[in-house]
Amino acid sequence: MSQQLVDAIADMREEEALKLVREMVASDSNPMAILDLTREALDLVGKRFEEGTYFLPELMLAGEMMNQISEIIKPKLAEMPDRERHGKVLIGTVEGDIHDIGKNIVSFMLDVNGFEVFDLGVDVPPQKFVEGIQEFQPQVVALSGFLTLSFDSMKNTVAAIESAALRDKVKIMIGGGQINEEVKEYAGADGYGKDAVAGIFLAKKWVGIQ
Amino acid sequence: MKIIGEKINGTRKRIAKAIAERDAAYIKDLAMKQTEVGADWLDVNAGTHPNQEPDDLVWLINNIQSVVDTPVCLDSANPKALGIAIRAADKTPMINSISGEPERLNNILPIVAEHGCEVIALAMDEKKIPETSEKRMIVVHKVLEATRASGIPDEKVYIDPLVMTISTNIQSGLIFFDTLRAVRAAYPQVHLTAGLSNISFGLPARSYINRAFLTLALQAGLDCAIIDPLDRELKAALLAAELILGRDRHCLNYTRAFRAGVFAKSGEAG
Repeated sequence: MSQQLVDAIADMREEEALKLVREMVASDSNPMAILDLTREALDLVGKRFEEGTYFLPELMLAGEMMNQISEIIKPKLAEMPDRERHGKVLIGTVEGDIHDIGKNIVSFMLDVNGFEVFDLGVDVPPQKFVEGIQEFQPQVVALSGFLTLSFDSMKNTVAAIESAALRDKVKIMIGGGQINEEVKEYAGADGYGKDAVAGIFLAKKWVGIQ
Repeated sequence: MKIIGEKINGTRKRIAKAIAERDAAYIKDLAMKQTEVGADWLDVNAGTHPNQEPDDLVWLINNIQSVVDTPVCLDSANPKALGIAIRAADKTPMINSISGEPERLNNILPIVAEHGCEVIALAMDEKKIPETSEKRMIVVHKVLEATRASGIPDEKVYIDPLVMTISTNIQSGLIFFDTLRAVRAAYPQVHLTAGLSNISFGLPARSYINRAFLTLALQAGLDCAIIDPLDRELKAALLAAELILGRDRHCLNYTRAFRAGVFAKSGEAG
């Protein structure tokens, strides 16, 4: 059943995947094992996206399947002791921008890759990021923005983190449609990802895995 | 159908490089090529460096004007850059763009009115592209109220209902067409324009999607588009659609384009 689930998710057979998850839950499978299989499948989806066999719609559908699977296994998961996490990531779309599709993809990919993710949502003022860092103590802060005006918000956010004397506590990555090396320099971030897969790679590198 | 040639856009890597290196020959070549295939305006976008934008825009405009007399479409949200660039333009430029955002309306509309420019208006406010056609219309009403108050005639306004990506919302095409029809019904004199290629973002074989989308958008009232005029297949689809919609008297645009070789390879000979 395990391989079947991985294949169903990776091959975009949504109904079959959800049915399998329900059956596994009904037969008392370990919810962590289901999550691991889901992650394995999403890895495949990410690889196929990188290779150019899958496209944005498949990433979106994979995200939807992931959310539905989480909903199904949530009650079971709540009974489990906390699973071990690689690290913490604070993420949000910066002030003045409300685009959330890319951010949500990164957010859930981080989650299935074993990060604890704290998502501040969209149109997040710099001060909220600062408060988020103080509260949540992430190793990585991820700023998302699609509009060109978000470049200034990113710069302001990095500056606010700096003036709160938190800059050396976190690594900051930025992402969004038009981000490049130059914007990274402009904003004062430590790195950028051209897509979700690149973002996950960065986060993993920064917390010292893989 | 009016065409705004999209090639000279500094957010594209190759153009950013040409701007940075002051590679005038490259820009001139693009200006000539787009003009040859019938672009009515040449979009000019200097890219994403707020400090250099005015200088870069003027440099681009001067180079374009040294080889063609096609009017430019100044693509910037920065009133300061627009104010400077507009003086460099020989022919009254189109302004791309305003939106429902009060700051943009307040700062850019006076420039548009003063110089008698045509202007593209996006159906979005401060930071948001409204999800539904109804909500986009609220912004369109607000924008038209402002342009009329500034004395800008409706026929100089080009509403861009905004094309969203079909791969993240399967309704994106329908929302766009609904908005086109709603604008046309409410404001018979305004023009309807759009940057089309966003529809196919994140998908393979994008040109087929772009062509189908353009064809259907024409039926819904689109009368201007920001496209790559050098894309022959797209041009051919456009000509054929206009013909079928009865907008090409005696089919002359179509047959002329055929004689000019637009259909080479893509159509049947004879």
